[in-house]
Amino acid sequence: MPLLQKLQTDDPFFEQKTVALQRLYEVIDPELFVNIMDLGLVYGIEFTPAQKILVTMTLSTPHCPLGEAIQEGVKNKLLQEFPTYQVQTVIVWTPAWSLENVSDEGRKLLGMPPKG
Amino acid sequence: MAKINIAKAPVNSAVLPFYGIAALFFILLSILLLFQSGSLTGGYFNFHLLSIVHIAVLGWLTMIIFGAGYQLLPVICERNLFSEKLAFVSFLLLLTGVVLLAAGFWCTPSLGAVFPVWGLIGGGLIFLSSLLFVCNVAGTSKICDSYSIQKNFILTSAIWLCWTTLAGFLLAWNLRYPYISKDHLELLKLHAHMGLAGWFLQLIIGVSAKLIPMFLLGKSSKNNLLTKAYMLINAGMLLFLTDGYLNGVTDRAIIYLILLLAGIACWMLYLKDVYNNRIKRPLDITLRFTGLSFINLGLTIAALILIVLWRPPIRSQIIYGLLAILGWLSALVLGMTFKTLPFIVWNGHYKHLNGKGKIPLPKELYRQNLLQLQWWLYLLALYGLIAGLLLQLDLLIKASTLCLIGTSLSYGLNIVIILRHKTIFIHATTPEAPDR
Repeated sequence: MPLLQKLQTDDPFFEQKTVALQRLYEVIDPELFVNIMDLGLVYGIEFTPAQKILVTMTLSTPHCPLGEAIQEGVKNKLLQEFPTYQVQTVIVWTPAWSLENVSDEGRKLLGMPPKG
Repeated sequence: MAKINIAKAPVNSAVLPFYGIAALFFILLSILLLFQSGSLTGGYFNFHLLSIVHIAVLGWLTMIIFGAGYQLLPVICERNLFSEKLAFVSFLLLLTGVVLLAAGFWCTPSLGAVFPVWGLIGGGLIFLSSLLFVCNVAGTSKICDSYSIQKNFILTSAIWLCWTTLAGFLLAWNLRYPYISKDHLELLKLHAHMGLAGWFLQLIIGVSAKLIPMFLLGKSSKNNLLTKAYMLINAGMLLFLTDGYLNGVTDRAIIYLILLLAGIACWMLYLKDVYNNRIKRPLDITLRFTGLSFINLGLTIAALILIVLWRPPIRSQIIYGLLAILGWLSALVLGMTFKTLPFIVWNGHYKHLNGKGKIPLPKELYRQNLLQLQWWLYLLALYGLIAGLLLQLDLLIKASTLCLIGTSLSYGLNIVIILRHKTIFIHATTPEAPDR
């Protein structure tokens, strides 16, 4: 299920998280030309009362040479929307990224057949 | 979370000069080939042809592999490059060495003539450059935490390169100060195959086993196939070289060739598994070059088998060399350049701007139409040359070398466009902050 749909309305940062995740649809993987949300690279987002945003994400391949650029893209995009916040990205390898993570829209953009 | 290290790309001076100079050598070799197309129908121990071959394997292919290697080592070993300074020194040594060595061959009029001292110095500089490459590979992989068969392939290939350049230097020494009692031409075969199967083949296996899954977004859990390939290829190489040095190249070479082919088959099975588990999307032109390179590798092997089994006339050895250098290796480099260089340059210009506004994509850093032109001209050049040699048609050979010049110019122009890229950035308007 897309991350946006998993957000709980009673989450105190529901509105901010919704806006943040929507902005992350604008961060493109420069190799695949598909945004990182539809690729399923973003695993979670947290806002703290101390004005910090923590994005937990992965990369399509470990030690991707464009990994830094993608992380910079996430930070820059969120800082445009939340200039007073401090943004941190955390890369995790478990669960490992797989094609199952890619959304239907992402599959369409990659030229793949739809799931199932 | 443990052991996460997104390796940092080395500074541009450790990588980009290799790409630029390699393109110049490619243009040079295609022009020289036009003027020496008559040499292709003669024997392979021709000094002008030797000069062109060394420009191809050292100035063009090894030069670009060094550059790409310095960029990719941190990715493969998951650590920063051991020394960027050593990388740049290796570039200077390789460049000077290739110029001197190739000019040395070119200026040696015949087999009986004396090979110039500065040609020998060139050979020595190339050997030193390969030593520095080994130091960087060993230094980077030493601090690599995880065991990786890809890393072993690359380190082993670098060691084979050192042996190849040392053997080449000793052979060049023998041209000026004869001291080897064995047949020079027999030793030349060992030197050439040390380079082809020891250096190029194993380097390509190591790098492809890491990059092809990355580019295709495919995966394979069959790493044991790569381990088998490593054992078989190196066993075949060691036996071939030892036996060849002691007893000359005999019919036993077939046994060593079978070991080598079994190793290549294991590598191919690994790649097939990756290919079957990839995202099924159309292959772009850069990957089409890779596919073509594998077809050319198959043709190279077929030519080698024919030579070993039937010992056909001398021109088949020229065809074999042409398929290996201009077919298999060059096709790979012609495609992979555009899978590496634009990303290296893009990272330098746009890494910190990503997400801040409108920026070009890596594939927009070069001209797609030039790449298309390069593809068609290359096909005409390579297969035209092979057909011309098979049919002994001088006109077709000349026309094909003209196509090769076209290929190298379209490639070189794209390299210049990428290297001279200026940052294009349109700042995004900052949206109003939402109510919080």
